[in-house]
Amino acid sequence: MGFWPKTYAVLQRELRIWVKRPIYLVGTVFVMAFCTIFYLTFLKDGVPADVPIAVVDNDMSSTSRNFCRQLDATQLGRVVYFDTFAEARSAMQNGLVTSICVIPEGFDRDILSQRQPTFSFYINGLYFLGGSLAWKDILMMINLTAGAVQREVLRMKGVSEAMIPGMLRPVDIDVHQIGNATMNYGAYLANMMLPAMLQMVIVIVFIYSLGTELKYGTSRHLLDLTGHDIYAAIIGKMLLYTLLFTIIGWNLQVILYKWCHFPLAGSLGNMMLAMFLMVIACEAIAVTIIGLVPVCRFALSVGALYTVLGLSLTGFTLPIEALPAGIRGLSFMYPLRYYYMFYIKEGIFGTGFAGWYPYVIVLLLFLLAPLICIRRLKHAYIHLDYDRN
Amino acid sequence: MIATNGIKSWFRDALHIFNLELHNVLHDGGVMIIFVAAGFLYPILYNYVYSKGMLEEIPIAVVDRADCADSRRYLREVDATREVQLSYRCMDMEEAKKLFSDRKVNGIIYIPADFGERLARLETATLSIYCDMSSFLYFKNLMMATNFVMLEEVNNIKIERFEMSGLTAQEAEQAVRPIPYEDNNPYNRAFSYSIFLLSAILMLIIQQVMFYGMCLSVGTMREENRSFASLPDTMEGHGVGRVVLGRGLAYWLIFMIIGIYVTCIVPAVFGFPQRGSFGDILLLVSIFVSVCVFFAMTWSTFIVRRESVFILLLFMSPVCVFLTGFSWPTSAFPAFWKYFSYLLPSTFGCQAFINLNTAGADLATVRPLIRALTIQGMVYFALASAAVYVENFVLRNKDRFTAEMERIKAELDSRRTEFRKKRLKKREV
Repeated sequence: MGFWPKTYAVLQRELRIWVKRPIYLVGTVFVMAFCTIFYLTFLKDGVPADVPIAVVDNDMSSTSRNFCRQLDATQLGRVVYFDTFAEARSAMQNGLVTSICVIPEGFDRDILSQRQPTFSFYINGLYFLGGSLAWKDILMMINLTAGAVQREVLRMKGVSEAMIPGMLRPVDIDVHQIGNATMNYGAYLANMMLPAMLQMVIVIVFIYSLGTELKYGTSRHLLDLTGHDIYAAIIGKMLLYTLLFTIIGWNLQVILYKWCHFPLAGSLGNMMLAMFLMVIACEAIAVTIIGLVPVCRFALSVGALYTVLGLSLTGFTLPIEALPAGIRGLSFMYPLRYYYMFYIKEGIFGTGFAGWYPYVIVLLLFLLAPLICIRRLKHAYIHLDYDRN
Repeated sequence: MIATNGIKSWFRDALHIFNLELHNVLHDGGVMIIFVAAGFLYPILYNYVYSKGMLEEIPIAVVDRADCADSRRYLREVDATREVQLSYRCMDMEEAKKLFSDRKVNGIIYIPADFGERLARLETATLSIYCDMSSFLYFKNLMMATNFVMLEEVNNIKIERFEMSGLTAQEAEQAVRPIPYEDNNPYNRAFSYSIFLLSAILMLIIQQVMFYGMCLSVGTMREENRSFASLPDTMEGHGVGRVVLGRGLAYWLIFMIIGIYVTCIVPAVFGFPQRGSFGDILLLVSIFVSVCVFFAMTWSTFIVRRESVFILLLFMSPVCVFLTGFSWPTSAFPAFWKYFSYLLPSTFGCQAFINLNTAGADLATVRPLIRALTIQGMVYFALASAAVYVENFVLRNKDRFTAEMERIKAELDSRRTEFRKKRLKKREV
């Protein structure tokens, strides 16, 4: 029997297993569907609106009330009033508000007489996004209020209206956010979280698929089917799983870039190529893990450790420059890392082939990894001499 | 007399089940690997990964078309910030864009040719920045550096301009800063990524490790045709309470050790803020661990095979991270996910730990969270007991169930054959 008929027999056998045990399809299709729904609905606002900001107004003047109203009217902030600082602090320590503004007594009077009242605000940096957004919002509002005061002073001095804008704002910064102009967190996170979840699913499910053969001692049957050709056995399984995972991955990308219209500078076709390469690279990683540790449960534990750490080591949340030097190198073990680099080139800069071809090569190199342990896996498949559980 | 005997035997039974479960767990290599490797190593690993926690001196390209004293001073000051570093000075935008898309720099500052001129004419001069949005931290660094320097520069320029329009030096000084502000970030002074992430993740590790471990152990029992719910033969009665509490105590004991290690020792070793009192943290951990025990018991009922928990539920860990509400603010949760998050002990446990340990709150302040955890614990206790009861009921009546099932099957078969016969007869007619 030739190589391809043998792989075809394995493929048919795998299909029968899928039908008999629904865990494979539940663990892939259902899990990815849940994740897609979760990340796309959870972060659907893009930028959080109406972050609660506590205000302790000790002045109760028209200026201070006006300040609070303006702060409340911004898209980012929602003002919650407190009578005392102690109450507000307790709310902040409880995570109910992200920040506290303290308006000192005599705020209005001191401003008018140019006695420079100090405005204090406190940020809870433990709630990262809420805290930094509140900080930005409060700072903007203070600068606007200060600008209004300055405008009055300049008018009193007889500066012409045409001159005033230049006086108040000598330098302006024009910000261009390349690749995510609206600063949409949903796009930023879902764009990488979903492929990251797919990487997790691929590695775990493929390890399980290869590992159950050992656990239930069916590996000999599998090898008998291919005439003891381990390559045909693994490639047969890979063909079917690659088809499944690639379809899931492409669907994901269509949802992200066509349905949700997340920004993509390059072409969807190129991103689909990256997805396909990531799928096969992840499968190669799974084969390597089960080959190195030919015990189903251990291999799954290793796979879980590997993929969960991958969320931190890929660099899409905390860039790898900010990781300690000793651990930075580990990020190169993850196919997801190259998918991410590919995405930056294609999705953010739209460089095309010239920009991303090195990552294609690296992703293909992952396919060589199983070679180091394929003999070991074959040995385990034949002799079943490792702990079954 | 009978009552005291009953209570005595109840405790004896519970202790017996506790011993049995502890023995099972300690002798199951797979479960112990999860408990020890994940429970003890994950906190250390995460602390190490995030030990730097800050992004500093990101490389930036500059296109200074103005090349005047003002622009040079501005760039010098930007370069001096902790956040960015001016690595390349380019002649034109094309060159900078090339560096940008080659990822040699993470941002561009462009100063147009009329920058100095506009400043001299007392107009608003504009400069442009281009940020790489592949990670929001690049954006944050570039924004912070350019904005802080701009605010500082703007004030200097403003003083000059105000003096020009006839204010005295002191008046100008006062007018430039009519409302001086003082910003405090008491719990996380430098917006460090590690302090924010680790405070939340430590508690989550306890919950997830216990959950995966218990699912593994239940799956093993199921595979070996035992059940986690059945009572040893020597015992009488239904014994739901004894099983739940006895088994629970075994896990509780193991996880109090892991819990104290994770919440007290790990932060101390890594020099992480510990602003709460030890007693408060201990109380929180003991409540949290108890809730987690009942939580894991309830959900592990659905696990049939040993490994299936990894395939079906590993993806929940990152979901739990988002649902604790420390990154995406709770006030912006969609309603469905807000209620969904109430199912998880980590939602309240992580927030309570952040508030107690890192923000230095006291127990009175976090009372609502502790109350929520307690209610959750009671509900999960009831559910875990119900699960044991149902499982027991099914096991006890297994023979009856199978007999009944076979009877129904036989009846269906006989009806089917009758129906076929009738149809055949009809055809013959």
